Amino acid sequence: MSHPKAIVLVGVIISILTLGVVTVLGSAKDENSTSNPKQFGGHTPGYGTYETTGSVLDPTSLPTDPKNSVVDPMKFLHEYNYGTVSHSANGSIIRDFTIIASDQNTKEISPGVNYNVWTFNNTVPGPTLRATEGDLIRINFINNGTGFHTMHFHGIHPSEMDGVFEGIAPGGKFTYEFVAEPFGVFPYHCHIQPLEEHITHGLYGALIIDPPKPRASADEMVMIMNGYDTDFDTENNFYTVNGIPYYYMHHPIQIEKDKLIRVYLLNMLEFDPLNNFHLHANLFNFYKTGTNLVPDEYTDIVTMNQGERGILEFSYKFPGKYMFHAHKTEFAEKGWMGTFLVNEPENAVNASSFTNTTRGISNMTTGGLT
Amino acid sequence: MERERGIIKENISKKKIVFFGIVPFVILGMMIVLILSYPSLFFNSQIIPVPEISIEKVEFEPLKIIATVRNTGHSEVSIVQADVNDRIHSAAMEPDSRLERFESATVIIPFTWNEGEPYGIGLTTDDGTRFEKTVQFATLTPQPTVKQASYFALIGTYVGVIPVMIGLLWYPFIRKLSLNKYNFFLSFTVGLLVFLGIDALLEGNEIVVRDISSAFHGQMLLIVIAILSLVSLIYVSSRLVKKAWAKSSDPEPVYTEVSKEDSSNVSSIHPSKQQLIIRPVALSMMIAIGIGLHNFGEGLAIGAAVLLGEVALSSFLILGFTLHNTTEGLAIVAPMARNKKLAIAKLILMGLIAGVPTIIGSWIGGFLYSPIATIIFLGIGSGAIFQVVYSVGSWMYYNNNRALTSFPIVSGFMLGIFIMYITGLLI
Repeated sequence: MSHPKAIVLVGVIISILTLGVVTVLGSAKDENSTSNPKQFGGHTPGYGTYETTGSVLDPTSLPTDPKNSVVDPMKFLHEYNYGTVSHSANGSIIRDFTIIASDQNTKEISPGVNYNVWTFNNTVPGPTLRATEGDLIRINFINNGTGFHTMHFHGIHPSEMDGVFEGIAPGGKFTYEFVAEPFGVFPYHCHIQPLEEHITHGLYGALIIDPPKPRASADEMVMIMNGYDTDFDTENNFYTVNGIPYYYMHHPIQIEKDKLIRVYLLNMLEFDPLNNFHLHANLFNFYKTGTNLVPDEYTDIVTMNQGERGILEFSYKFPGKYMFHAHKTEFAEKGWMGTFLVNEPENAVNASSFTNTTRGISNMTTGGLT
Repeated sequence: MERERGIIKENISKKKIVFFGIVPFVILGMMIVLILSYPSLFFNSQIIPVPEISIEKVEFEPLKIIATVRNTGHSEVSIVQADVNDRIHSAAMEPDSRLERFESATVIIPFTWNEGEPYGIGLTTDDGTRFEKTVQFATLTPQPTVKQASYFALIGTYVGVIPVMIGLLWYPFIRKLSLNKYNFFLSFTVGLLVFLGIDALLEGNEIVVRDISSAFHGQMLLIVIAILSLVSLIYVSSRLVKKAWAKSSDPEPVYTEVSKEDSSNVSSIHPSKQQLIIRPVALSMMIAIGIGLHNFGEGLAIGAAVLLGEVALSSFLILGFTLHNTTEGLAIVAPMARNKKLAIAKLILMGLIAGVPTIIGSWIGGFLYSPIATIIFLGIGSGAIFQVVYSVGSWMYYNNNRALTSFPIVSGFMLGIFIMYITGLLI
């Protein structure tokens, strides 16, 4: 009678040992939590500042430097790709661009949030292409993705350059060639169905066509409003301008007092029918689609449907920090907000050092969305 | 010769038995080690495990919302963002934002919440998946202060103790009843006990659905606990009853206290079955304990409801519970009424055993809410109640000529269960 008991005992011991092995293998964790307290909260009036020994979850005020960032918004703001310039026999300008589409990269779109982005030239938004009205644009398009992709430009061009009916197969190439016309600001994006899927994953960018007689000299910048639906429920989890939520909250855009600022603004948001831009403590001239040199409106808010865009021109009368954000406040509170830091002209030289010190300004309002 | 061979054979076979008992465990252990050491041999490494977290508890403190989150997925996960009503907020996570499997952590969100409004608390994992928990009614989380504890004690007294005590006042009334009427009330209590047992399971199920991740198989846990509780209590009580009968100097079984028209039934009961029949006082005590366990679960649920802002405790709700629970007192006195001796002290003790756990439950539920612990208690309570149903049922069965189909019994049962439903509507 003792032997069956022994069997049971041995069985129990073995199961305990097995469980032990499983537990040991399963709990190979590294303790990297530090014990020095960090501050969180407090960047909105009425909210206390708290200390924690744990992790801080705060894309709204913590400037992080993601290693695998989807884009560098500060670089993107002022970066224009004019292409490789050559001249045709009749003397007109030819601009050659190379655009590579990929769809297998997982990049950080907000601190800690990794998302499979589909990209033109490895960033979301894709590069800002720039030409002057009348230039010949040649885009050497390479599809490095795993699915069909195209480039569809808004503007005037022949049917076969529209990037709609001829999908480019994985590994395939195509040269889009057209004369830049008319002047204005245009989106480009992939036109493979489902369109929503290709666009929301990040296949879009801006094409600026300058008028033959250049616009007045200004501090120019590109802002593309977008969103990310990271859990695929056809609702955006994040809203941004230039790819990373809240980026310009902790990296204010340095501008000079009284200087003309020109913003090329595009709405590439999916799912939500509307998006908008609101400028604090100022008004701007708005040039709808940028196709006219006379402003359509003098306002502090502009609302755009999907694919709409325009040019904003303004200058600040007083130095200081000013917000800009979607006046659809939901979008603002999910990342679409930023700040201009208006400097006196002599301060503008030290702009880069200022960026770091402004982090210390704790009374910055993220709540005062008016 | 024959015998020796048998012994040798037995020895060999015992060793073999040990061997064959161990072999499957050894192979199983090797298999587990192999799978864990070389997972790529077995699983496609391309498959990214889907993260799953569950927000188990949301508490409201002045200017802060505190959420307890557990990783209920199959791999470790990092929480990277917190939001309130789908609007991103600054937050902290303690001990840290990385959760091992089944590990839990606290998320602290500074937020100026408004009393009485609903809030959705969202957490986003590192792959961008957002998980949400909605609270219907934001209210300051009860702190374990003397004031709050006495508030819960007051609720528990109204909901648990007073109704049971009121129910006990039926004792003299039941004592005077004829057997048929008595059977009616006894089966009436069985009906209400069945209701309470099912009610505990359903309440547990609500908590499972609301607060417990599917990773824990909460529904099955609830039922397994209820069955374990039922079977073990049946076993324990039968052992106790047997011991009590063995010790007892009183050879006279209690069920001889039947009225004249049924006296012929007594002789028909087989003597060996006498030992299985429980004395009325013991039966009443069992009912009191079963109801006490049920009320403990009810207290937990009340405390948790206050904690989670699920319910605003109104006088109407308290009134509903009071009416509903008065019948529990009736259940306790019903078997005792056949006892010769009047035992007021015992009755009061039983009333307290049945009622006071409501207070203790509300303290635990209100101050240390844990959904898993709550469903375990509800499971135990449900099992205990079904054990009482079994005991009262078999008591009635042997007291009524091994039949439970008389009109008083059937009608009493049906009325009992239905009245519980009706009074339950008030809650």
